[in-house]
Amino acid sequence: MDDRPAKGRNGSGATTAAVLWALAAAFAVLAAAFGLGPAGQPRPRDPIPLVDPSFLSTATNRRSYADLVRAKEDLSDFDCYACHEKGRPPVLRFDERENLIVPREHADIVMGHGEHGRNNNCFNCHNENNLELLQTRDGRALRFQDSPQLCGSCHGPTYEDWEAGAHGRISGCWDRPLGPITRQQCVNCHDPHAPSFRGRKPAPGPHPLRRPLDPPGRPNAS
Amino acid sequence: MSAPDFPPSPGDLIPAGDLSRRSFLRTSAVLTAGLAALASSLRPLLDMDDLPSAQRFMQKYYKELTPDEMARVLKRIEDEVAKEYGVRPHVRDLRPMDGVEFVYALNLTRCIGCRKCVHACVQENNQSRNPEIQYIRVLRMPHGSLDIEKAQDHYDPAMVPEKGYFYMPVQCQQCRNPPCVKVCPVHATWQEADGITVIDYDWCIGCRYCEAACPYWARRFNFAKPSIPRERLNPDMAYLGNRPRRLGVMEKCHFCIQRTRAGRYPACLEVCPAGARKFGNVLDPNSEVAYILRNKRVFIQLKEELGTSPRFFYYFDV
Repeated sequence: MDDRPAKGRNGSGATTAAVLWALAAAFAVLAAAFGLGPAGQPRPRDPIPLVDPSFLSTATNRRSYADLVRAKEDLSDFDCYACHEKGRPPVLRFDERENLIVPREHADIVMGHGEHGRNNNCFNCHNENNLELLQTRDGRALRFQDSPQLCGSCHGPTYEDWEAGAHGRISGCWDRPLGPITRQQCVNCHDPHAPSFRGRKPAPGPHPLRRPLDPPGRPNAS
Repeated sequence: MSAPDFPPSPGDLIPAGDLSRRSFLRTSAVLTAGLAALASSLRPLLDMDDLPSAQRFMQKYYKELTPDEMARVLKRIEDEVAKEYGVRPHVRDLRPMDGVEFVYALNLTRCIGCRKCVHACVQENNQSRNPEIQYIRVLRMPHGSLDIEKAQDHYDPAMVPEKGYFYMPVQCQQCRNPPCVKVCPVHATWQEADGITVIDYDWCIGCRYCEAACPYWARRFNFAKPSIPRERLNPDMAYLGNRPRRLGVMEKCHFCIQRTRAGRYPACLEVCPAGARKFGNVLDPNSEVAYILRNKRVFIQLKEELGTSPRFFYYFDV
């Protein structure tokens, strides 16, 4: 601290002192503004809502017949002979464009297996002589629980991948001796009557720490 | 040093016990202003509530910890988490298994871009919710290209998959030749025998060199103190895995070390509704990943040309 100029021995010293004091005061005000004012405070972060727990669920799209049996649930939907008559295969009816007319009682079924509606015969997969069974094209009868073999009778390579664990969902332990696995069946993800995998709502995207430069709505940021 | 050859001016001399009123006022004003400026510049220190305990400060490097010391460290972490979140976790130090090398395979034909893996990962690995830290970034790319320049991760349609696009989730690729490990100045990140590149969060100095070195943008930095709601805390923790991180350390995907080293599948795989994610021990010829690498069209290791040799493979169905 040199206080010689402030002594006012000549005019220029007094001016320098005044300027220095003004500068010092300006900096002090700035420091106070940053230290106490809003400019120096951290900006509060935008709240980010917690993700909906449904996005964390590991449940499959659908529940298979095997699941229902395992869970000892109501299987009355599969009690075919509550309505149908034993020993009399149901008659299929088709419209003029050879599309199957789904009867009112089965209105929940959407026929969408295979392209161009060609796979429209119920008895391609269901056993007409025993509706509580399935049948492959080569005539093997299968229980509902064993449906993957039915799927595999047409979709061979995919069935092979599924058996090897490369297609479909397996959960549990990669290290088999350390614990069991759950291998989901085809019908846990695919609706057998309309098997293409359905779309779904995506979980929320990332919230960047810094607001993105591109405002949403630009073609690139859709 | 010789004495000055001119007499000092009276103002320069402040004889003891004869402080002039003016210079006293001036000196004290400047001192006060200086102290105030210093105090205001140190203000952020007041917000520091995460001072390391002596035990954490003195803690040794992970690889040098004896089993006894490790047990004490795990106890300390459990105490700290219990104090902060009110939930007593189970923290383990899981070591690599013999004869195991982890490999991940992701089926680009099946991925529908639903981002469930992203959030299952956040939940499993106790990532900060705000600011948000996510290990998996799902890129949406137009069909017919694999050009990351055209990728977009902020897509938000009503339904996925969208027509004309495919989705490629990117996370730590667990490289066999990891650039992030090479640049770490303090050896806080290294590759383990089972192929997982891990981070010792207590050894990391937060220099972010590894973040800059990673060609996959897989590493995340805790710019702020992580916030995890108590009810979403996963109490099954591992030292090198999902124990809560601190402000100023790096983190990244570690193949859910707390699950996979206990034999389980990672969380992102379990939640994938499309079955696009496959994980296992590539040294076991009967594992799914070995089958995939043998039989499927394994199309890319991302940025293969860099020579990082990822353990994360993308493949297609025929």
